[in-house]
Amino acid sequence: MSADEVPADSRPAYPPPRHAMSLLALESEQDISGDVRGWMPVTPYTSSPDGMPRLATVAMLVDALGGMRSITASDPDWAFTADMSIHLLPAGPTEVLQADLHVRRRGRRTLVIEAELLADNERPAGSALLTFAVVPRPEHLVNITINMTPGRRKMNANSAHEILEMNYFDELELRVSEPGTASIELRPVVCNTVGALHGAIHASLIDEASASLARSLFNTHAVTTDMHLAYLDLGRVGPLTATATAIGGPANGRLTASVDVHDGNGALVSTATTEVVAL
Amino acid sequence: MSGFGSPAEIGVAQYLLMMIEEIGDGTAALPHTVGHFPGTANTLDADGRLGTDLLTCIIDSIGGMTSGLASLPDWIVTTNLMIRRAPDALTGAHGTGGLTLDTHVLRRGRSSVVTRVEVADSEGAAVATSWMSCAILTPVNGPPPFNRPVRPFEREVPNDPIFAASPHEFFNLTAGDMPGVALLEIEQRLRNPWGILHGGSSAVVLDAAARSLVLGRATVEPTPEAIVTDLAVHYLSPGRVGPIVATASSKGSRGPDHLVRVEVRDQGADDRLMALAMTTVRRLD
Repeated sequence: MSADEVPADSRPAYPPPRHAMSLLALESEQDISGDVRGWMPVTPYTSSPDGMPRLATVAMLVDALGGMRSITASDPDWAFTADMSIHLLPAGPTEVLQADLHVRRRGRRTLVIEAELLADNERPAGSALLTFAVVPRPEHLVNITINMTPGRRKMNANSAHEILEMNYFDELELRVSEPGTASIELRPVVCNTVGALHGAIHASLIDEASASLARSLFNTHAVTTDMHLAYLDLGRVGPLTATATAIGGPANGRLTASVDVHDGNGALVSTATTEVVAL
Repeated sequence: MSGFGSPAEIGVAQYLLMMIEEIGDGTAALPHTVGHFPGTANTLDADGRLGTDLLTCIIDSIGGMTSGLASLPDWIVTTNLMIRRAPDALTGAHGTGGLTLDTHVLRRGRSSVVTRVEVADSEGAAVATSWMSCAILTPVNGPPPFNRPVRPFEREVPNDPIFAASPHEFFNLTAGDMPGVALLEIEQRLRNPWGILHGGSSAVVLDAAARSLVLGRATVEPTPEAIVTDLAVHYLSPGRVGPIVATASSKGSRGPDHLVRVEVRDQGADDRLMALAMTTVRRLD
């Protein structure tokens, strides 16, 4: 079969315009060992009242970089994010967040990657730990070609011309119906390559459900500083809804929450615990 | 994976004396269990509160067992475990005394299980929440011998005073030569039924290292002025030889909360990295 005879791929291009990842203008660079460094600009539309990037956007950065790092680390197999843990430090108003990713374990069935976060190339901003499930490479990804040549580049070409000009959650149409409850419709701009809710958007729902609950309890600004998130199933049916429940009462300006994300059929698709701090 | 010893003769379980019962008739695909931790005087601090070290042990025990029940006829090993303590149960009356652990399997996949454990005190006040992931493995000699539904059973405690000792003595801890380092010498009582170091033991030594670092003194003894409020631990390889060395390093702080990274290595096994943890230690003074 010649190239001209190959049937056109009828799937829509991924990511679509104004995708949740493209809008964050992520950049990455991979060294010869496979380790990955990435950057994310922080704007008023992606930051917390303390000037730091929201946990939701940090989740997108480390998830995207972790996925990139996992390709060489899991080769010839493939890897899917199984869970993600993020801790943020008070690094102050930030212009660019940097993440450096390193493989800590590559077993037969799991891959553990650690990310160190740095604000404006000088201030510690926190860390992340990600677990990936290693599986045989899916058929549709056997011949995938990924540009692994050295050099810093945008992680998505759309980022060059797509500009975020409103609050990130408003752009995604992520809504809070009541304190502790955040929902989002399953639209292509918040999906992953298989049409399910993108892993980092689970984190967005969890971040905002937690923060909204804390705002109502503290009656002031609040920022989600820590999250331990486990992915349980693909979110294929919208709307997806996160519900945060306080664990005990708040104390000393801290709230601990347990957050479950359900799909439109009521199935539990992810669960997390969070820490929220009053500002 | 070698054969499983008797569940009644796990040293760490004989020390903690938690009773576990399965809810329902034992046929649920996603099992539900409840643990009752009595809180013996030697396991609690001066206020009657369980430290995060032993809290992790009991969560790992019931979470692991319940995940295993979901995996029968295979069994599991814990791959990671996440805990957060309730902020209003770190001091004062909340969260003291005996504890109840309500445990649900959330997902049983082909190769892994995710289980949630919610911990409350005798008044029903939340003490902590946790979830853990386990990898499903096929034991050479079959899974542990459980009758379903699992019913509480009395554990025979060895006639050895070490089973009534404080946690740092039972877990054979010694302080390193600088703050942030703690060592554990492996004794038979600290092994799990597979013969490797009990996952809770790793949590105990890393908890001690993290608190020691934040307090700036080399100690493995109780620290009323500091408590681990949040723990994310990834178990990377088994501990077999020892000494087990936990080394903590500071990542930064937010008010009284210190973010601490801890590596746990099996020094006698080529210094192999056993566990990697990120914890938050709160100064209470």
